[in-house]
Amino acid sequence: MSRSPPAPAVRLDAVSVRYGSRVALRDVSLQVGRGEFVALAGPNGSGKTTLLRVLLGFLVPESGRAELLGDDLAGLPIRERARRVAWVPQDESPRDDVPILDYVLYGRYAHLGRLETEGARDRELARDALESVGLADRAGDGLLSISGGERQRAVLARALAQEAPILLLDEPTTHLDIGHQLDLLERVGALSRDRGVTVIAALHDLNLAARFAQRIVVLSRGRLHADGPSGAVLSEELLARVWGVAADLRRDPRTGAPYLLPHRNLPGPDAPTAPSGAGPVHVVGGGGAASPALRLLADRGFDLTAGALHLLDTDSETAEALGVPVAIEVPFAPLGSEVRERNRRLLATARAIVVAPFAVGPSNVANLEDLLPFAGRVPIVVLVRATDGRWDFTGGTATAVLDELRRRPGVVECALPELADRLRALLAPSPLGASATAVSR
Amino acid sequence: MSALAPSGASTGRGRRRRLWLALLLFGMALVLLFSPLVGSVDIDPLRVLAIVLSGGGVLFNPCAGAGPTCSLDVIAVWQGRVPEVLLAVLAGAALGISGGALQGIFRNPLADPYLLGISTGGTLGASLVFVLNVGEAQADLVLPLLAFLGSILTGAAILAVARGRYGSVETLLLTGVALNAFLSSILTVVLLYNPVGSIQVTFWLLGGLGGATWPRDGIAFGGILVAGTLIAIYGREINLLQLGNDVAQSAGVDARRVRNRVLLLASLATAVAVAFTGVIGFVGLAAPHAVRRVAGPDYRVVLPGAAVVGAAFLVAARDLSYLAFPGTVLPIGIFTSLAGAPFFFYLLYRRRQSTTMGGP
Amino acid sequence: MSLTNEPSPLAPTPRGVSTAVFAVALLVVAGIAVAGTAVYYAARTSSPPGSIAVTDDLGRTVSVPFDPARVVVLSPSIMDSMYRLGLRSHVVGVDCYAAAFGGLSADYSPDQISLWNLSASMCVQIAPSLDSEALLNDSPQLVLASTIVSVAEVEEITTAYGIPVVMLQPPTLSGIEIDVSLLGTIFGVSSAAAQLNAQLAMGLASAEALATNLTDNGTAFPTVLVTYSTDENGYWTFGPGTFGESLVELASATSISANSTLPYPELSGETVLLAEPEYVVYGTGFGLNLTSYDAAPFWSDLNATQHGRAIGLDSNYLTEPDPTMILVGLPSLIAVLHPDPAP
Repeated sequence: MSRSPPAPAVRLDAVSVRYGSRVALRDVSLQVGRGEFVALAGPNGSGKTTLLRVLLGFLVPESGRAELLGDDLAGLPIRERARRVAWVPQDESPRDDVPILDYVLYGRYAHLGRLETEGARDRELARDALESVGLADRAGDGLLSISGGERQRAVLARALAQEAPILLLDEPTTHLDIGHQLDLLERVGALSRDRGVTVIAALHDLNLAARFAQRIVVLSRGRLHADGPSGAVLSEELLARVWGVAADLRRDPRTGAPYLLPHRNLPGPDAPTAPSGAGPVHVVGGGGAASPALRLLADRGFDLTAGALHLLDTDSETAEALGVPVAIEVPFAPLGSEVRERNRRLLATARAIVVAPFAVGPSNVANLEDLLPFAGRVPIVVLVRATDGRWDFTGGTATAVLDELRRRPGVVECALPELADRLRALLAPSPLGASATAVSR
Repeated sequence: MSALAPSGASTGRGRRRRLWLALLLFGMALVLLFSPLVGSVDIDPLRVLAIVLSGGGVLFNPCAGAGPTCSLDVIAVWQGRVPEVLLAVLAGAALGISGGALQGIFRNPLADPYLLGISTGGTLGASLVFVLNVGEAQADLVLPLLAFLGSILTGAAILAVARGRYGSVETLLLTGVALNAFLSSILTVVLLYNPVGSIQVTFWLLGGLGGATWPRDGIAFGGILVAGTLIAIYGREINLLQLGNDVAQSAGVDARRVRNRVLLLASLATAVAVAFTGVIGFVGLAAPHAVRRVAGPDYRVVLPGAAVVGAAFLVAARDLSYLAFPGTVLPIGIFTSLAGAPFFFYLLYRRRQSTTMGGP
Repeated sequence: MSLTNEPSPLAPTPRGVSTAVFAVALLVVAGIAVAGTAVYYAARTSSPPGSIAVTDDLGRTVSVPFDPARVVVLSPSIMDSMYRLGLRSHVVGVDCYAAAFGGLSADYSPDQISLWNLSASMCVQIAPSLDSEALLNDSPQLVLASTIVSVAEVEEITTAYGIPVVMLQPPTLSGIEIDVSLLGTIFGVSSAAAQLNAQLAMGLASAEALATNLTDNGTAFPTVLVTYSTDENGYWTFGPGTFGESLVELASATSISANSTLPYPELSGETVLLAEPEYVVYGTGFGLNLTSYDAAPFWSDLNATQHGRAIGLDSNYLTEPDPTMILVGLPSLIAVLHPDPAP
């Protein structure tokens, strides 16, 4: 026996795979150590499934080398492969009502001889596998008589019965409800921790990936884009660059894992430029007051930003639906410094500001306060309130700020129906600045 | 029955399956014993039993103290009926297990042994005998040979495609359809200009157990036993194939190779059956369904079970053809179809009743 | 429907009028069509000078030229009668299966071909379909056919080319005499026909005499299987209502298929074996000989075979309803079945 360190569970060396003329994997090199839990992420078509299929031996790489536990994959017979790597596919839809125990025993195939029948040890392993997925009491039931979530667990059990040190999962949570998603990944995580199973899971939900896997490998257009611990790999920039999605990065307060809040798709390189010229209009509001203005202006082709709003607020939902970048805070919390900073940044890039008639309380009075420095720099339109009623819940502070704002130059009042025309009139003389797209920084 | 025994034998399901299988075998034995009682002529049942149990006079003399016609009865029963029943058993088993194997390989409950055009190839081979007016004496030998060759060459063509680069299931099915069409058209042209041969081919297409002799049964037995046993051994692999080629492969099954081997064996078994009995329909389609309905989807049970059910079915069809139309020789294929059609309606009816819970 | 819309009961509505007109017009057209067809057929069936009207075996009334010099005969049995009546010189064409599958020899035995001096140039193909071109090439004035040619096809010959077709298909043995007489009428050889019929009557009479003889002597009729073809399932034989069966009866024997329900049943090997017929008469010619029957089920086990009582007879004698059947076939059969006739 050589004294060199044990070979990694999986090793890909400059692997390229081609489907006809299309290159699915381009020069991918990857090493996964024994017992690691690696999440494989990337947009559709990035090559995640292709990579898994290479590891399963279904695809032969055009160039490069793939190894399982130190041995060249190409040289491994199918049975031996099955003893090393097991697979939980995305969608195994069985047609027959096979008893679950029998179904799990199918996984023992690679360990049985041609004429051998399953023995006591095989049955024990199968029951063990069912136990670890929590289906031990359903052993006699038919595969079609259990729910989808349970069935996916049964599939996992079958894969476990293969006793393979490497487990591959291809988007195993796709058809599961959120409870079952968490359950499945927790169990898989436990297997990795307690039994040293090497897990490579293709996951499209980045947040789940960050939560359960210690390491994330990101593929983009067939290339390896990033590979490292989830905390280091996941960023707003990654999401924008690889997925083309604008997002906010947070930290999950319970798990400490990074948490991404996607907003909207970024316009592609050939997206039509905003009709009205340079710079967005920033709308300030909350509690539904900004929604009419947002819709009206979006209809008229204005580029918009909004903030600062709370998550679950009607206005933030409207903004989301319209694809408007928003500075967002978690529900019911007072506007934090991060959000205010972001809001100010948005204000800075706006060429006009619209103040909707929102109800102001201590949690969002900062929205009005932060407007003061911008008075005079860009036109500010304050929308007239349609109804009389109490709107100031700050004991007068909001009213004072608003009055101060109205006294400043460049601040006008307007009724909602005239808003679009008024804005056009205000912006008609050649606008300063030239950038056409609004981007969060 | 090591590899053939299903798992979960200790569970209620396993015990129930074993019970059904045992029941089937017992029924089979009974059928084998009593079928020779049925024929185109009435022979005293006791005498028939005596002849059968004595092995045609080998173990004891069934004609002791009987009149001169007894020796003719011995010939009629031992040289006529018993080989006929045995041929029904063999052909039925071959068709049943081949049908089951193909249904498993193609994951299609409508597959039957003739799916890939094997029957058409065999018919073309047989038609050459009729059309070329091969003398009766040679026809006895030449007909099964040409029919077998026709079938097996068709099977070989399909297999060549199966092993090639484009040997996916869809390609195989399309090739089978194409071959079927091609061979059928050749057959039609041949028969159009030889109407007499056409009648004979029609009879052949309906299948028949005529011409069953001990030597022929022996040949059939050899071929079908070997092919059938080998098919049954692939039960576990076929189980895994039901989960999809990819999943099966990930679990260690060489899906391609298994599929090709099973196709070869099924073609062989079917070709042997077709060579001696013509094209008997429905058995290969219905027998596996019946077993699955009763014993579940485990192919380690379905395959041998389909052999037994197919055998019983064909023997029953034979008996029925004699009982229903005494004195006339009717092609057995008519009876298998007559029995098969209502059987399928029954299966459909039952399936609609017991809806499966839990979607895909 | 309001009262105002209802039509007045006295005057028909405009819609009612047009319907009536339409109905009348339809009737007129139909009437013209019927009348026209009747006139057309009447004109066709009225005999032009030099021709006679005869009724054939299918009950069709046909107008045929008297003693036509050029006749096409589409049946070996009719050919037999023609030859015996000395009318061979009138025959310019005979039936054949397609050349690729036997041609002339598929229908006519070598003996018949040489006796009747037939040649391939006389072929008119009848299967898979009737070759009307070949037919016309012979410029026939009359076509004589049995029902091996479909009636529809022959009707077409008449309508398209104006050539009369007489269908001769005797339903029973006595029908043969009728056909002979009919031929005598058409060709003006009534005396020859009468002579031939007398011979036929004599043949039948002597068979009857044998039957009476045997009955008087208390000799039982022998049982016989008459088979014209076999396969691995059994023996094809003649059932009630067929010529073969009638022949057996006339030959003072009992066919083992006498009680069958079908006219051309196949008896299983088992049935034949256990019926133990005293004699087996198998049809020969047309590719069939003893070896053909060797492979039939239980052939070598049959009582008759083992005792040398399986005898071959020309298939034609058993199947073709013509004078030869009565004049040659019947005596041959009797000779086979009654090898030691009572004096």
